[in-house]
Formats: sequence, C-alpha cells, structure tokens
Amino acid sequence: MMLHAVRVAVIEKIRIMVLVMAIYHGICHTWGADGRCISLLKILFSNSCIYDCKYCINRATNSVPRATFTPREVADLTINFYKRNYIEGLFLSSAVVRSPDYTMELLINTVSILRNEYNFNGYIHCKTIPGCNQDLIDKLGCLVDRLSINIELPSNDSLKLLAPQKEKDGIIHPMKYISNNIKINHQDKSRFKKNFVPAGQTTQLIVGATPESDLKILKLSESMYKKLSLKRVYYSAYISVNNDRNLPTLEKPPLLRENRLYQADWLLRFYGFTADELLNKENPNFSTLLDPKCDWALRNLDKFPVEINTANYYTLLRVPGIGVISAKKIISARREFSLNFDSLKKLGVVLKRAQYFITCKGKYFEHVYKFNKNFIETNLLSSERKNLPSQKFEQLSIFDNLLPTKEDKIKCLTGSL
Amino acid sequence: MSNWKLINKIFTYDGTFNGLLTIVFYCYSNKLLPQNVYAEEKYIPNFLDKVFYIKTDENKAERVFNGINKNICYEALYNSFYAFNSNRKDKEINILKYLCNGFDVGPKINTMLTLSYVYSVILMRKYTLSECHKLKGLLRFIEIDNNIFYASIHPENDIIEPLGHHFIRRLPSQKFIIHDKNRELYFIYNGNEYRIVDNINISIPTIKDNEQKYQELWKLFFNTISIKERKNERCQMQFMPKKYWQDLIEL
Repeated sequence: MMLHAVRVAVIEKIRIMVLVMAIYHGICHTWGADGRCISLLKILFSNSCIYDCKYCINRATNSVPRATFTPREVADLTINFYKRNYIEGLFLSSAVVRSPDYTMELLINTVSILRNEYNFNGYIHCKTIPGCNQDLIDKLGCLVDRLSINIELPSNDSLKLLAPQKEKDGIIHPMKYISNNIKINHQDKSRFKKNFVPAGQTTQLIVGATPESDLKILKLSESMYKKLSLKRVYYSAYISVNNDRNLPTLEKPPLLRENRLYQADWLLRFYGFTADELLNKENPNFSTLLDPKCDWALRNLDKFPVEINTANYYTLLRVPGIGVISAKKIISARREFSLNFDSLKKLGVVLKRAQYFITCKGKYFEHVYKFNKNFIETNLLSSERKNLPSQKFEQLSIFDNLLPTKEDKIKCLTGSL
Repeated sequence: MSNWKLINKIFTYDGTFNGLLTIVFYCYSNKLLPQNVYAEEKYIPNFLDKVFYIKTDENKAERVFNGINKNICYEALYNSFYAFNSNRKDKEINILKYLCNGFDVGPKINTMLTLSYVYSVILMRKYTLSECHKLKGLLRFIEIDNNIFYASIHPENDIIEPLGHHFIRRLPSQKFIIHDKNRELYFIYNGNEYRIVDNINISIPTIKDNEQKYQELWKLFFNTISIKERKNERCQMQFMPKKYWQDLIEL
C-alpha cells in the first residue's frame, strides 16, 4: 500500500509537468489560405463611419453597404467560437458611429457582456476610438487585455492632409494617458487593485501613403517604445482603394518596405539597436537588396569578425543570421566544450549569413576566402537571389593583364615565346 | 554500461510502460543488453531471432520508477515517458539504454547529447510534445446533445492525456469527449474528473441545430479573412500538414 501511494505521488508529479506544459501553448488555431495564422476573431463592430479619412474604404463619402452588430451578437459569436476551440480571443475594432463616445460605449457593452455575463477569461484586444472621453478609456481598460489606438500616419501634416477630422493630440493624449495608467497600476501593490490593460498597448501606422522616410518612421517608433512603453508598433503597407488627388497612386502595396520596417523594429526591441545606427541622413531609407542587420554589418565591418567562443551575448546578437535563440544556445553550449562550425550546425544555428562574420577557434568558415566588403556583399546578394553569380574568385580582366606588352612582342619576334 | 554483456536475444513485453520498466530492471540487475526490444503485438517473427518474453511485474516496475526519480532525475522520467508515447519503431531499445546509462552517470545523462540513444530519446520527446502542441490549436469541438462537446483527432503519437489536461484547464466546467481515432481511445471529462477508456461502444448523439449555424459562420470568417492577392498554399500547408485536415471544419 505504501509503495502504491508513492507511485501515485510520482505520477501526480508528471501531471503537474503536463499542466505546466499546458499553460505555455501557442495561440494559432488555424492558418488561412494566405498562410497567415488565425488566432483571434478579428472583426469590425460597425463600418458606418462619420469620418472621411481619404485612404479608408469605409469613409463617409464612399457608397458601400453599411452594417452594425449589436453587442449581444458579437459576445455570442466570440464565446461560441472560443468554446469550440476555433479562436483564442477577440480583436474588436470599429468605425466611428455617431460620435466617438457613443462607439466606445458600444464596445464597452460588448466586452462587459463577455467578461461579466459569460465569464469569458480569454484574450480581448480592443481599439480605442480617438477623441473619446477619458472615463470611457478607464472603463474599457479594466475589461480588456490590450488596448490600441492607431496613429495611422506618421506626422501631423500628413494627418491634416488625409484624415482632416483626426488630430494629433486626439491620438497622442489617450496613448499617454493609457501608458501613465499602466505605470500607476504596476506600482499599485494593493490586493484589490483592478488590472488595467495587463497586456499593454499597441499602435498601427500606414506606410507609403505619405512621403515620410523610413528614418522618420523608425524614429517615431523608437520614441514610442521608450516614452510610451508600447508593446508593439504595427506597420501596414498602403493599399490604394480610393481615388483622391491627395493620395499617391501605387500599383502595388509597398510590401518590401513594410517587411524591412518590421525587421528593423525587431532590431530595436530585441537586439539593442537604435534607429540612428540603422539609418542616417545620407541614406534615410532601407536597402531593397539586403536586410537592415546585414546592411548595418557591412557598414561596420571593423566590428567583425566575431569569435564565437569568446564574444559576449550582445556582440553575438549583432551578427547577421544569429538571433536571440541561437545566441542563447551558443552561450549555453560553449560552457561544456568549445565550438566549431560543425557543432554550430548541430545546434541549429543557420550559417547562411553568419558564416561571413564569425570565426570559430580563430578560423574562418571553409568557403570564406577573404574578409572584405566587396566579397561579402556579392555573396550575400547571390545567396538571396539565386540568379546572381556568386563570387568565389576575383574576376580576371583580360585587358589589364593579358594584352601582350612590348616585351612580349619582342619575345615573340626572337622566338623565345 | 560499457562492460555489460550484449546478448543475441530479442525481448518482448506487453506494450505498457510498466512492462518496459520491468525490462529495465531485468537488464540492470543481470548487467546485460538485448539486441532489441519490441512490444509483443508489434513484433514480426523472424526465424533468426531468439525471442524472450518478459512478464510485467508491477513491483519491479515500481522500484525502477522510484529509482529513476531518485537516482537520475525527474526530467529523465519525463523524457522517457513521452518518448515511450511516441510512435517511433526503435523507441524501446533507446529508452532502455538511456535509462540504464542514466543509472550509472546520474542527472548528467540529459546533457550527453553526443550519445545517439540520448539524442534520440530527447528527439522523440520533442516530437511527441510538438504534435500535442499543434493539436491544442487544431482540435475542433462539435456540440452534441446534453450540452456535451465531442472532438475527433487522428494523432500519430499517444498524446490524448496531455491534450485532455489542456482542455480541462481551458474549459473547466464543460463536459467533453476527445476521441483518438487511430487508437480508439476516449478521453472523457464530466466536469469534475476524467477517465481514459478504450474499446467501448459510444454512440455519438445527434448534432444540435445551432451547431450547424456556428460552423457556417466559422467557415465564412475563415474564407473572408484570407487575402486573395497573397494566396500561398505552401505556407499554409507547412504550418498545418494535410494529415490534420480531415478533422478540421473549415477545410
């Protein structure tokens, strides 16, 4: 009997581990036909808007069919999808119906039905309507996990041009208010405090509708991360849906630019880079050929090559191709034994870009013949785009060296050649 | 373990975790290693093999079970348990070597990844748990009568228990049944406690009316949210392999 009791206790221990595992799980429930993961029920509460923002499909002067949910409908939909394991939570946004305050009240209604009536404890992300009352933000913030206000355009002039009814202050003030409240809430040690926006706030801006440079956008994001302690800034490539003389006419949305901005955004948040390091006034936009980190590394070749076995964590992070996970793996693995290129491959470190910037026990990678900017740049480009020829050896020029010189001609005449 | 006697025999057992632990006990006490270990039902007879059936002994399994926790480490128990639940063919011999060597060297065994059997045990654990993780998102409940939820899955590994635990945490007061169709196992939770049963005849009651409505709405949402201009089926399939599609509503 005693033995049996011990056994049950050990199995219980495994169960605890199982439960711990159950807490940390991904949030993706399915993947759409475009390959993006679907984790939240992402809907507009209404599309009948009183504002007339020039870039938006739902602006007041467009003739599109208009529809508005009732709070009960959205709450029912969310809880039933959640129970059937279709989604992980709700992402609720809305056009401005009648007035900002009225719309906010509708959103609060929806969320409070979910939280208080259906006891929904999943994730809720809600948009804040610019220009609404602060009390309403307080009320909504205590119900949801994450709040966001879209700044949409990266400067005040652009806002005046394209979204004349929105004001910079109407957007920045609530953002400051939310971030202050989150800070106060963090410091509050009382047992009965209300949780105000536990997952922080985010924002979104449109890239390519106005002439701002990448440097300006990145500077804006950096200051928002630092001053307003935002969790994320989302960038969305401008897709032209309306015709207006103030709008640019783009055939395709600037997807590559969006991608580069996201790459740089990661460098700001997880890799300890600053906006000024990545871009400067001479080249205010990102290179179309190379990613921001490679671009930075090529401009700062004096900081490379990095020795894998001795470099510290932050130096490793700056090597193109080595990310947070790889850097941590390297740090923990080199405690046991010193690393060479084979063991790096076994650890799962991708050497495609990293090979040009690192040494292992003082040696370069086998295919890296020389360490100069020209060689590395050509090879990086050719690995990105398969059709470019890779440079293994320097191209010999026929005309420089091989044209017969005067001496050669004399040798020919005398018959010694 | 290096001076153990390698014998030219095949061990078979009844296919339970206790059975495998009994083999570990037998091998460790006699200092010998068999050529291979198979579950009795999965073993295909071969006239060159000398087959030796080892009967499961709960008491010995008990001692090994406690011994692993005490002398190796808790993580070793965890690794071998989930490696055992995977569907790899050579799992038993790898776990046997892993545990036997583990008793010699102690908790250091988990960092000795250069030994092929240690590496494969850890890989098998990873393989099992990653499938479990994937199914936490890809499982779909259907509402049937009496307010009970039913879901069918076709997993490659035996992951019904950790999967069920996840859904007990997620829906603590909801009664549900998870049906592993590859193994005919049922995870049944009544809102209070759970039980795993096999080989019983459960007739699935009829689907409720509003279930159909929510399925239609979900399909509509799924099709609307994907951007037509950025269609990328390869990317979709990479995240969501086609073997899981049969249980999904939206595909």
